[in-house]
Amino acid sequence: MASVATAKSTPHGVMRPQAAPLRDLVRILTYHGFMIGFGLVMLYPLLWLLGSSFKGPSEIWTNISSLIPKIPTPENYVRGWAGFGSVTFATFYKNSFIYAGIGTILTVGSSAVVAFGFARTRFVGRQFWFGVMMSTLLLPVQVQIIPQYIVFTKLGWLNTFLPLLLPRFGGQAFFIFMIMQFIRGIPGELDDAAAIDGCGKVGIFFRVILPLITPVLVAAAIFSFYFTWGDFFTPLIYLNDPKLYTISVALRAFADPAGATDWGAIFAMSALSLVPVFVIFVLFQRYLVQGISTTGLRG
Amino acid sequence: MITSQFRTARPETGRQARGRVRLGEHNLAGYLFIAPWLIGFFAFTFIPIAASLVLAFTNYNILSPLPHWVGVRNFERMFSHDPRYWVSVRQTFYFAFTSVPLKLAFALALAMLMTAPRRLVGVYRAAYYLPSIVGANVAVAVMWRQIFGTDGVVNAVLATVGLPAHTSWLGNPATAVWTVIALAVWEFGSPMLIFLAGLKQIPAELYEAAAIDGAGMLARFTRVTLPLLTPIIFFNFVVQMIFGFTVFTSAFIISNGTGSPLDTLLFYPLYLYQKGFRDFEMGYAAAMAWVLLVVTALLTALIFKSSRYWVFYAQEEG
Amino acid sequence: MPKLGRREFLRIAGLAAAAAASVRYAPGSPALAQTPLTLRIMWWGSKNRHDRTIKVLEMYQAAHPGIKFTYEFTGFNDYWTRLATQAAGGNLPDIIQQDYARLVEWEGNRLMVPLDDFVKDGTIDLSRVPKVSIDGGRVNGKLYAINLGNNSQSILLDTDAFKRAGVPLPDQKWTWQDFEQIVLTFRQKQGIFGAGYEFSDQQVWKSLYIARGQWVFSRDGRSLAVADDGPFVEHLKMLLRLQKAEAIPSLQQEISEYHQNIEAQPIVQGKAAMSYQWSNQAVAEAAAAGKGRNYKLVHLPRPKGGKPSNYLKPSQFFSITSHSKHPKEAAAVIDYFTNSVEANRVLMAERGVPIAPKIQEALKPLLQPVELETVRYVARVQTDSSPLPPPDPEAFAAFQNNVFNPLVRDAVLLGKISPEEGAKVLRAEGNRVLAQKS
Repeated sequence: MASVATAKSTPHGVMRPQAAPLRDLVRILTYHGFMIGFGLVMLYPLLWLLGSSFKGPSEIWTNISSLIPKIPTPENYVRGWAGFGSVTFATFYKNSFIYAGIGTILTVGSSAVVAFGFARTRFVGRQFWFGVMMSTLLLPVQVQIIPQYIVFTKLGWLNTFLPLLLPRFGGQAFFIFMIMQFIRGIPGELDDAAAIDGCGKVGIFFRVILPLITPVLVAAAIFSFYFTWGDFFTPLIYLNDPKLYTISVALRAFADPAGATDWGAIFAMSALSLVPVFVIFVLFQRYLVQGISTTGLRG
Repeated sequence: MITSQFRTARPETGRQARGRVRLGEHNLAGYLFIAPWLIGFFAFTFIPIAASLVLAFTNYNILSPLPHWVGVRNFERMFSHDPRYWVSVRQTFYFAFTSVPLKLAFALALAMLMTAPRRLVGVYRAAYYLPSIVGANVAVAVMWRQIFGTDGVVNAVLATVGLPAHTSWLGNPATAVWTVIALAVWEFGSPMLIFLAGLKQIPAELYEAAAIDGAGMLARFTRVTLPLLTPIIFFNFVVQMIFGFTVFTSAFIISNGTGSPLDTLLFYPLYLYQKGFRDFEMGYAAAMAWVLLVVTALLTALIFKSSRYWVFYAQEEG
Repeated sequence: MPKLGRREFLRIAGLAAAAAASVRYAPGSPALAQTPLTLRIMWWGSKNRHDRTIKVLEMYQAAHPGIKFTYEFTGFNDYWTRLATQAAGGNLPDIIQQDYARLVEWEGNRLMVPLDDFVKDGTIDLSRVPKVSIDGGRVNGKLYAINLGNNSQSILLDTDAFKRAGVPLPDQKWTWQDFEQIVLTFRQKQGIFGAGYEFSDQQVWKSLYIARGQWVFSRDGRSLAVADDGPFVEHLKMLLRLQKAEAIPSLQQEISEYHQNIEAQPIVQGKAAMSYQWSNQAVAEAAAAGKGRNYKLVHLPRPKGGKPSNYLKPSQFFSITSHSKHPKEAAAVIDYFTNSVEANRVLMAERGVPIAPKIQEALKPLLQPVELETVRYVARVQTDSSPLPPPDPEAFAAFQNNVFNPLVRDAVLLGKISPEEGAKVLRAEGNRVLAQKS
């Protein structure tokens, strides 16, 4: 399943020269046909969003179904970008980048370290603390928020990024668990070999494990960035000044059930808010697919 | 030698320590590595979690400064006097046990289709991942209405093939929850990526060796791919189950926070949020949260215990 | 000039009031007059409202160098989440936008400051405002909130659709029977809905009893006070008939398409001839429908021989919270929103029809046709309406979200239970939930 090349190198006999190219062609066409077709189905909602973001206010609700606007209205983007009062989307983008960028670095870095501790070292109470850690995934943030808010108010950290970023020094259970699973896929012999060469645990972490879990760290970084980028609940509570709003909070302030809502601007800014996450994904996705170098496994 | 070490299933604990390093050093190293998490836990998480446990036994309406103790009355009310509570439990279980297998199936299938280094694979990866990053976007509700609404795309497509095309998928109690399931499954890009990373971890030599031994495609899948992928399947399964039970945002956005129609979208965390932040019964919400925690913890522990039998790890350092 | 006068008045009175005020409202505050002061204000709305309100705050800052604002705003759904969290943390803003449904709850928790003294001493000038527009903000006789604009329930009529169908426009005293007839006619003659969504909303349920001179809740707010379920059952039966005849959209369709997204009302796309909304929402519908459409607003239908279903409702208020250290300055800001012509030229009645008569007059020449129609409509309602009912009880949110919507409205209109059973459930479960709040 890993590659077409492998299949060709079976010793099962010579393939008939005339039929083979046709069969391959059919297979390739089917593959791409399916992937493109299904891909379009998957992308339809987003394509609709993009199309609607260019529809003027009179068309959005009267010409809902079509993907293509009758009267392209790029002004939606201009109005949406203008934000509220004097605070434009440039500020919201900046805030989102600060939150998601720094948050991701902190989360992934710490989670990797902690994951190594849980996966590769035996210590008293390991099972217990692992259980506690997993339990933190299970308690909804809505119940934690009030006591947490009171604590942060007393510390005077309201209206700053501190309540959002500092807890990330401890890593996050989701990523700790994820990285743990990948570390467990690495044979212990590699650790032993390094230990024989005189490496302490720290050395093993940096020299052996870290290089091998690069794909999962990249995946974790992509996920963390995207989770943080879309997070609106904690920024809603802790960032009061509109100048500190992230995109997720700002977008939610655009719509009001009782008043006139600028839906064109909402669609425009929503579509735009997907771009950074997508770009990061595209840039980093090839690191995801680098497998483990096989030489490390021999011997 | 390579294949043999992967064929044996080893339970994750119960192995003899390699006997090279003293236990004391192990403890120090262990705690040193998990120190960031420990510190973070005690500094930021412990107090809110403990406070929420206390709140579960109180009547706290947020607006008045002090909660007052009511013992187990919240739990009592929850289990015997609250019809909507059980509706939310039922809907959540239904959602979790339907969406998670579907999501994982799509994720694995598409991941397998994308491990081949064909042209355009990068494009496909991006296209299939893109829906996952839409998440809590306010536009999701509108998009979903565009698709499943009475005049939406699904009905338009049904009409062209002559099937009945007037259902309000979002408004009909029989079908509404499936629109949210569809939304969850639509976002299979995340577990798909994790599967991809996991598939890439499987050395190509193993496939070659298996092929040389005469294994066909199906055999290669069941004998090489699946066993080596089990840690990842395990991870995705646990995590998606947890997500399935704590799903809030999609139901909130699609039903505009109401859980309608007929509470079919009243998932447990949504009901919890309503109780806490709409009805201002924070004590009741905390009680609900702890019940959720206990149940999901039990479920997760069950899955972990079962992993002994079906998850194969490479050998672990002691 | 009035602005200067007010500012001087503030500076002079500030010193004098500091002593008196510090006892009750702002313990320990220094001499208020010369120190630059920061006031925090929070409101909900859409981008339209945020832009306008921010501009007015900037205008106020320019005119009053001693005052600076930090402002916060959210959409409606998130507003109460954040506000409640701030209340729990002892961290409320000075001025908040307030909702009629939450007044009793907030007063009960002593989170707002009474404003009667500010009105008496003229900080907030309500001298020309009719009593009916002020008393909505009273709880237990004390004034806690200043009305930012009036609106009322209304039916929006697409006058061109009526012309095409040859149906005369309804009179403001029309009945629910007239409504049923008209709505069926549109389906028969034109193949469109007669009206749109929201006819099963709890606001309409309340109006059924208001038109009979009753209020649905008991005085202490802990139970339902309706003796006769008949009107509600009849109304539900009518809605079921109309749903079946496709004269109005089904509840399924409403849940699927609507979501409090006023622009999604079918009248916007010409798929219905009428729609139900609060009068200030009509502006948004007209804007979404685009140019070349003509509308008129008319009263909500009433029962045969009944009183008016309509009442004049404060659409939202400004209140001063008990966490505020500068209530007097905050009160002056509220006065600016209420009485300043230039401020209202920016706000443009977006929150409802302003309560001060001179503001209404000043705005009339500037308004778009539908905006003007809402002002005229509110004036019509003022002369033909029932008195403002008491504020909703403390447990109202719980009642609406846990009983009325899921167990009664959804269950009956989605065909799960009969209207009679629905009324029984409303009574049993409604009373239980209302009594629970302690």
